[in-house]
Formats: sequence, C-alpha cells, structure tokens
Amino acid sequence: MPQKERYQNRIELLQGTLDMLILRTLLWGPQHGHGIGLAIRSGSEDVLQVEHGSLYPALHRLERQGWIAAEWKMTENKQRAKYYRLTAAGKKQLAAERSRWGQLVGAIARVMDPT
Amino acid sequence: MSWFHRLFRRAKAEAELNEEIRFYLDQETQLRIDRGESPEEAMQAARRAFGNVTLVTETTRQMWGWTLAENFVRDLRYGARLLRRSPVLAGAAIVSLALGIGANTAIFSLMDLVMLRMLPVREPHRLVQLQKLNGDSTRGNLSYPMFDQLRRDLRSFDGVLGQSGIQEREVVIDGRPETVKAQFVSDNYHQVLGVSAQLGRAFSGETAGPVAVISHDYWRRRFAFDPGAIGRTFQLGKAVLTVAGVMPEEFFGTVAGVVPDITIPMSMDGAIRGGRSWTTEPGISWVSLLGRLRAGATIEQARIETQTVFARILDEYKHMRPAGRVRDYFLAQRLALYPAGNGFDDLRREFSEPLAILMGIVALVLLIACANIANLLLARSSTRSREIAVRLAIGAGRGRIVRQLLTEGFLLSAIGGVLGVLLAVWFGNWLIVMMSNGGERIALEVRPDARVLAFACAASLAACLLFSLAPALQAAGGGFQSALAEIRASRWRLGRGLIVAQAAISLLLLIGAGLFGRTLHNMYSQDPGFNRRGILTFWLDATKAGYKGDRMKALYQSIFAELRSLPGVISASSAFIPPISRLAWDGSMTVEGYTHGQQESDESHLNIVAPDYFRTLGTPVLLGREFDERDTPASKRVAVINESFAQYYFKDRSPLGRRLARNGPDREKFEIVGVVKDMKYRDLRLAPPRTVYFASTQSESARGWSSVVVRTTTDAAAMLRSIEIAVGRVDPALRVLEPRTMDELMSRSLLHERILAMLAACFGALALVLAAVGIYGVMAFQVARRRREIGIRMALGARPREVVAMVVGQTARLVLLGTAIGIPCALGLTRVTEKALYGITPTDPATFVGAVAGLALVAVVAAYLPGRAATRITPVESLRCE
Repeated sequence: MPQKERYQNRIELLQGTLDMLILRTLLWGPQHGHGIGLAIRSGSEDVLQVEHGSLYPALHRLERQGWIAAEWKMTENKQRAKYYRLTAAGKKQLAAERSRWGQLVGAIARVMDPT
Repeated sequence: MSWFHRLFRRAKAEAELNEEIRFYLDQETQLRIDRGESPEEAMQAARRAFGNVTLVTETTRQMWGWTLAENFVRDLRYGARLLRRSPVLAGAAIVSLALGIGANTAIFSLMDLVMLRMLPVREPHRLVQLQKLNGDSTRGNLSYPMFDQLRRDLRSFDGVLGQSGIQEREVVIDGRPETVKAQFVSDNYHQVLGVSAQLGRAFSGETAGPVAVISHDYWRRRFAFDPGAIGRTFQLGKAVLTVAGVMPEEFFGTVAGVVPDITIPMSMDGAIRGGRSWTTEPGISWVSLLGRLRAGATIEQARIETQTVFARILDEYKHMRPAGRVRDYFLAQRLALYPAGNGFDDLRREFSEPLAILMGIVALVLLIACANIANLLLARSSTRSREIAVRLAIGAGRGRIVRQLLTEGFLLSAIGGVLGVLLAVWFGNWLIVMMSNGGERIALEVRPDARVLAFACAASLAACLLFSLAPALQAAGGGFQSALAEIRASRWRLGRGLIVAQAAISLLLLIGAGLFGRTLHNMYSQDPGFNRRGILTFWLDATKAGYKGDRMKALYQSIFAELRSLPGVISASSAFIPPISRLAWDGSMTVEGYTHGQQESDESHLNIVAPDYFRTLGTPVLLGREFDERDTPASKRVAVINESFAQYYFKDRSPLGRRLARNGPDREKFEIVGVVKDMKYRDLRLAPPRTVYFASTQSESARGWSSVVVRTTTDAAAMLRSIEIAVGRVDPALRVLEPRTMDELMSRSLLHERILAMLAACFGALALVLAAVGIYGVMAFQVARRRREIGIRMALGARPREVVAMVVGQTARLVLLGTAIGIPCALGLTRVTEKALYGITPTDPATFVGAVAGLALVAVVAAYLPGRAATRITPVESLRCE
C-alpha cells in the first residue's frame, strides 16, 4: 500500500510519552485535538506518529486528572471546536515528566555508548 | 447528584465527544483536500487513519471513570433478568433471606429499644442509677427522708432525683372517674434529667405545688392534642391538681416500656392521701434514685462518696430499728451505682437474657439460610458454567465475572433485606405484644429508624458476601480450559461442605429448641402444690369503698357467702398474697424449742389467709386442720405451716401444738394447728420456701386490699361475669380488679419460658426445612452427575435398594460429620442458656440424642427422594444423555 510506504520511516510512540508530548504542545497555548496531533507530527518533523485513535482517550484522561482543561470555542473558520489548555497542575506535571524523560534518555545513552 | 442529572450530564458528554471526533475528521479531511486529494478519497483516508471510531469512543468513555457504576447497573439488570427467568430459585432464596434478615432485624430492634437506646435527655451518659441493695443483695427502695438527706449531702452529683413505681390510680376529670398510670417524682425530676415540657412547663425544682404534667401519649388519648389541657384540673385522692405541662413525645420517662400518663410531685403526697405524707415517713421505702454526675466527676468517685454519705445516714436512722437482727439487716444496706443513660434497668434486666439468646438463635438461622442460598446459587452456577466459560473465552476478566455474580447476590440480598425489614416491624411488634403478656401493653414500638435500617443493611450485605462469594469464586475459578466435569466436581466438594455446615447449625438449633421446650414442659408438669384447674383470682380494694375494722371483716364474710351461693362455685376464700403473684412477704420467726445458729437465717415467708383457703386451692392438709370460723380475735392465736417449715424445724416430731412467734415489738405467740403441702410461693421457678400462714379472721385490722380466690366446677373464666355481679350485689362501689384464672397466672409467670420455647421451636423447624431443602438439592445434583455410573451399576446387577442405600449412606456420612462438629459446639454454647433452663441440664443427653435423631430422620428423607430417582435410571437412557 502506498500510504504505508510513505509512513514507514516513522517511529511508534514510546509508551507513556504521549501525555508528556500533549502537555508540551499545550505550553504554546490552547489547541484542539486535531491541532495537537498536527503539532506533534510537525514538531517531530513527521517522524513521530500519533495514533489518532489514542489521542482522544489520552486527552480525556488528562482532563480527568486536572492537568488540562477544556472549553468549546470557535475556530478561525467559524467552526465549533473543543480547545484544551494547560492548567497549573499540568505545568507541574510537565516539569516532572520532563525531568524523568531526561533521566531516561541519559540512562539509555550511557548504556548504548559506554565511554 | 441524582440519577437524572448524572444521566443528563452523561448524554451531553457523549454528544460532545461525537462532535469532537467529527471535528477532527473534518479537519483531517480538509487538510488532505488542501494537499490535493479528492474529497471522497480524503474523507476515506482520514477515517482510515483515525481507526475504529466506535472503539476510540469506547476507550475514551472509559477515561471518564463511570464504567464501574455503569457495569454495576448493567449487571443488576442482567441479574434481574436471570432471576425472572428462574422464579422458583429466586423466590426460595428471597423468602429464606427475608425470614433470616427479618428475624435478626426484629430481635436487634428489640434489643436496641430495651437495652441500647439512650434517654432523650441532656447528656444521658452522666446519669447514674443509685440502686439500694439489702444485705442479701435483693433490690429495694429508700424512704423519702433518707433520699432527701442523701441528695442534699452528695457532692459528686449535680442533682439526684427520686421517683416512685408507676401505679394505676383513679383520677376524676370533669366529674368522671378514670384509671391512669401515675408516677410520683421528686420536685427536681425534670431539672435533673434536663428535659422541659413541650407545652406549658415542667416542675421547677423548688416545691412544685398542686400541679402535674401529662405524657404526650395521654395528651393525645385524653385531650386530642387540645392546648387547653394546660390549666385543666383533676382530682386525685383528696387533692385537686392542675395540669401544668405536656412532655415531649420522645420522652418516655425513665423506665423503658412504661410511660406514666400523669406525673405528680412527691410533695403533694400528703395532700392526696389526706393524712400524713410519706415524705415524712422514714419507715416506708418507696423511692428509687437516679443522679446526674457533676461535670468531670467519675462514677468511681461518686461510688466512694456515696458509700460514706449513705453509711452516715444509716447510722443516723438506725435508732428507729430495734437492736439486733433487724438493725443489723438495716445497717447492711448499701447503694450500688450503675450507668443509667438509658434509664432504670427493670425491663432490661428482665429481657436482656432471653433477647441475647434469641439473637444468637436468629443469627444461626440466617447462617443456615445463607448456606442454602449458596447451595442454590451453586446449582445454578454449574448450569451456567457454559455461559461463564464462553465469557471467559471472549476475554472477560475473572474479576469481572466474580463481580457479576456478586452483583446478582447483592440483588437477591437487597430484595430479601427490604422484605426482611417489613417482616421485622411486624414480627417485632408482635413480640412486644407477647412480652407484655396480656397485661399492660409495653410502651415500645418497633420502627424502622436509622439504626434498625443500618443493622438490616449490614445483615443483608454480610449475608450477600456469605452466600455469593464462594459460588462466585468457584465459578470463575473453573477457568476456560477446564472441563465441565471439573467444575462439577468442585461444586460437589463445596456442596458437601455446605451440607456439613447446615447439619451442624441445625443440630444446634434443634438442641436449643429441645432444651427450651423441655424447660417449659417441666414448669407446667411440676406440682405447684395447688390444683390450677377451675381457679379464678381477683383483687378487691375495700378501703376505697370506705370499709374499716369490723365492717371490713363482715364485708368479706358476706362476699364469700354470696360467691358460694353461685351455682358452679365450690368455695371461695382470700389471701393477702395469692400464689405466684410475684409478691412476697417475709419476716424473721422464733420457733419454740429451736435456737438459730449464728449464720442461720431465721426468715420465713408469711401470708394471711381466710378460712377455706387451702380447700379452695386444692392444697392437701397433711396434719391437723386449716383455719375456720372458730378462729376469732377472741380465741387462741393459731398458725398453719407448710411441709418445708415442719421439716426444717421439727424433723420427725409432730409440729401440732408447738408455738412460734414473729420477731417484732409484740412477740405474740401462735400455736400451730395444721401442716399443709408445700405450695409455690412467688415464682414457679423457685422451690417453695418455708411458709407460715396466719388467719385473717384473727388479724388485728382486716386487710382492705386482698386477693379473692374462687374454685369453680366449670371453666373459671366463664364464671367471671356472674362473680362480678355477685360482688356488685354486696356493694356496688366494689370492683373486681385484675381477674385472672390460675392458668393465666401460670402462663404469665412462664412468659420467658414460653417465648423462648415457642421461638426456638419455630426457628428449629425453619432450620430443619432449610437443611432438608439443601440436602435434597445437593444430593439430587450428585445423582444427576453420577447418572452414567449409576446406570452402569444397575446394568451390572446392582439392586435398587443398594443404589438408594448408596445415596442415603453418602448423606448420612455428611450429616454424621456435621453432628460431630455440632455437638462440641452445642456443649459449649448451651452453657450460656443455663439460667434460662429449669429441671434440665444444658447438656441433657436425652435432648441431644433426640436432636440428632430428628436431624438424621430429616436428612434420610431428604436424601431418599433423589436416591429413589436414581433407581429409575436405565443404562441406555443415561448413555444417551451424554
């Protein structure tokens, strides 16, 4: 299938990192679900593939945990869309996940390239 | 949040989620169109990239965290559908649960009413009962002067109140006499309790004056909630009192179960009596005490202080008693302090033990019911094993299956619980009617209040866990791959365990029923010393009709004559204290020629009886004669003694002609003229005490208040009307009070025994029925399981009798095991019922054997039916079945 070929150099998201990416994306300002997906895709220069289907469960989970808040707004094209924004708790969570991520990357790097 | 709101919010959230996803797809499609794809292609590609929309929606919804509740509701609905599909099983389970929970809730609510509920007063935990105990630990009251001194001297109490017993009195309101329950209380009564009137005012604490307060109940009954009741006057004795206040509805007085209609200050006693007030009589004990501890004081401190103060008061009053035994007895009095947050403990003392025993019995019944339901559910879960295997196969978690089965159990126990509460209200109120024993209705009512409902909920939940956890775990534990046979085998193991448990518990209940039944039988079949058939007793109060002295004696003569002239009456007599009336009168005696030892009691029970008393009761005169018309104030003083007295003081020598005297100021000598057979005195449970009878015809002042005993040839109760007319003929002012046949008196006296025997029998029978159903179910299942094996055995020549014996034998082994467990438990448990038994030990071998035999019989019958069914199996049929 042609489409499959086009996406073959994309990497599956590491388990648990989607939440962090969503929070990071929202740091720039409120965004709707599709916009978040696009931002992750383009931010990773099309390398990271967000499973569209996993985006919404993640958003609703984060909302329930109080890290993001949702609000219905009009888009520039005068369409109703649900915009998510980062809450104060979300910012704290992002910082925590970012440092955990840093530790993980560092640890893996040390294992892969022992000096 | 209400269900409606939740559902509404839920619907809105679903709509929003759909809109969100639609928006996403629109955006994605638009993006692709902008890249140059055709609209159709773009839409399809967007959808493809998004994946399964339904699945995404589903997963997202789970994030909302409502799934638990949703699953619960779904399980409930599914469970309800299943129950509807097997109405017999559901009905059996619900009925046994309703009975079990209902019985438990009823007994609990009675215990709550009688033993646990606090008085509706300010800080009830600070209330303390000051109970006077005599040297021999019998309970008694104080005289008013001693009470008054005590309450002024005690420092560890904020206040101490006194109250009389509650009596029926005649009051005149609007010129019309009526009988009310009246109680005298000290003028600080309401102040110490910390209650105020709902309407008008309560007693102020200072001298209250000629006033009274009425109960809410009486206000409703007599005045129909008329606020004008305040200020109404009524006559009581020689005084006119004004109604000053109405007490609140929830205030039931300080004695559980008896609410006085009218409460009167003790300071009015003299005015009512029209003579010397009992508040100035140090010799009359009629006051019981309740104190309110000072804030911060402990009951221990109060106990120590009370002891010293009371000892000092006794010392002050001791000169009023003659030195010697009487004074020693007086000085041996003490005050015991009990926490009294729920009031005086009379009803509690009387019923706490039977209620505790009943609570144990009903808890066992609930256990059996649970075992039975577990059995029924097991039977069903094995037929459902295919369904459960399929559900496990398509990915249901084991926990999910257990939850589903537990939810079904919850549904059962919830329905059973609701029915149980309804049953409990009915059963509890019926028990209260039983407890009040045909007399004054005990003023308690079982209402499903918060505590009772909480208990019922707890009982239902516990039952639910008990009966559904094991089958649920067992069903889910079977696993997907395990063969059906394996599930069935483990079901058989569990079923066997349940039979053993049921047998053990049923045995306990049967033994209990046997013990209580035989106690009742022993009570009735013992010889009370009189012939109870055809006796009617009633009270007469001649003082109220204005009789005194010789006129009084003449009155009794003419009443006896009038009664004897009635057709159907054999004889009539009277006594100061009739048999088994719960009344007692005792005194210390000197017997000529006998010296009491230092530690030896010289007390005997006394009574004053009229001529013909023993003939009327049917008590044989063993020696000499009973009193007759020859015994007059002018003749020599005579006495009649009972067998025990004769045996104790005279051994083998003849007591006739010997003399005795009451220890007291007069020391008058009485000559013994007769010995009668022992007769139960105050209580059927107690052995007849040493008793001395005096002649009413000789006593200085004839008693105005005495009990008339009539022997009739026919049914005593049927004679009541003509007896009332006969008494009215002598003097229309006289009334026949509390007429009772001797049979009634005995039934009343045996109230506890009757309640326990009846309920233990009912619950024992219920347990047997449940156990029989359980055994039948398990064995029938077992036979079905071994269908093939039995068929082959029969084909190889096994005779039907052997097949039946195999099934019955299997049951017998299980029941035997249950018995082996049940008997040691029974030996331990029945010991707590020892005090409630009579003429039988708690380990009575005959009762145990009988209970085991009864259980065995029922078990064999229950197992015989499936056994017989097994003999009808033909090999061909059984093979075809597989």
